[in-house]
Amino acid sequence: MGVAAAALDYDAELMLRVKDGDSACFDLLLEKHRASVIHFVYRLVQEQAVAEELAQEVFLRVYRSRSSYEPTAKFTTWLFRIATHLALNWLRDEKHERGQDRLDDGSPDLPIRQVSDRRPSVEQEMVQRVKLEEIRRAVAALPEKQRAAVLMHKYEEMDYIQIARVLGCSESALKSLLFRAYETLRARLAHMGRI
Amino acid sequence: MTCPMVSHNSEMLVAYAAGELDMESVASLERHLADCPACRSVMADQTALWKALDAWEAPAVSTDFNRRLYRRIDTEARLSWWERLTRPFRPMPLRHALPLTASAALLLMAGFLLQHPAKIAPVEPRSPTVRADQVESTLEDLELLRQFGAVNSPESGHSDAM
Repeated sequence: MGVAAAALDYDAELMLRVKDGDSACFDLLLEKHRASVIHFVYRLVQEQAVAEELAQEVFLRVYRSRSSYEPTAKFTTWLFRIATHLALNWLRDEKHERGQDRLDDGSPDLPIRQVSDRRPSVEQEMVQRVKLEEIRRAVAALPEKQRAAVLMHKYEEMDYIQIARVLGCSESALKSLLFRAYETLRARLAHMGRI
Repeated sequence: MTCPMVSHNSEMLVAYAAGELDMESVASLERHLADCPACRSVMADQTALWKALDAWEAPAVSTDFNRRLYRRIDTEARLSWWERLTRPFRPMPLRHALPLTASAALLLMAGFLLQHPAKIAPVEPRSPTVRADQVESTLEDLELLRQFGAVNSPESGHSDAM
């Protein structure tokens, strides 16, 4: 995305005002993107405390870079590139340190969406929890680039061009990467019966 | 339309399940799905996967997230120039820092050697000749060791105490 196109990006305008010393605009950017960054990082690293710590680092880096900021890309592309970089680095370090053990321990911070207003039975809750755990593991087992792509596509509703820019690949490569990722997930979760 | 699975356009099925296709493409794909069991199967699984992924919600963000962040920003604002300069290296894990430090030390050493080659004393080549007094001394040492071994061996007088 060139400078002209980026000029249409409201977030980039806010960031340029942060660059000019308007810290209130940083507050606005933080409010707007805090949840999505934390949630994205959480689904990547699957630990809430770590996700918040990494998200803090993301916004800290944004703040630090304010004086040199140039809107050469969409603001969220830049933001998610930082988030992806930090989260994947953390995962590599963690994998190196402790292997994949973490995926095997029951994570206590797994909220389950209540589909209806009615309180689900204990059995329903158990089934739902097991399914969610399966999904979580299947996503965690994807190669890191596929995992990041799926999370941005599914939960952040980012378009192909933007995800490709975050991950530094072409749009066509991203499409095929995403298809392979979903194909793997379908195969891994097939035993759940129409998932 | 050509089958997406055959025409290397299988991403279309993902886009359909994600609701990303325009109306025209949806209509065209749905006509194809009616006649293609392979695509129908992939589509059913992909749609089910898409719905299943909806169930995975992230926990709520801590209420003190902003406060913690602004505190870090304030702390940063008070950092000295030296702390700012060394900041990128501080959170670095030891296993990353060690090779970097070792490489930097090697580079520094190499630079020093290139700059001051005369300061390093050349190594004296060892004489290949063996002097007679060295041989005698070694033979005496071996004899001493043999005697010492004989004294300490289990076959010596100490075995009587067992």
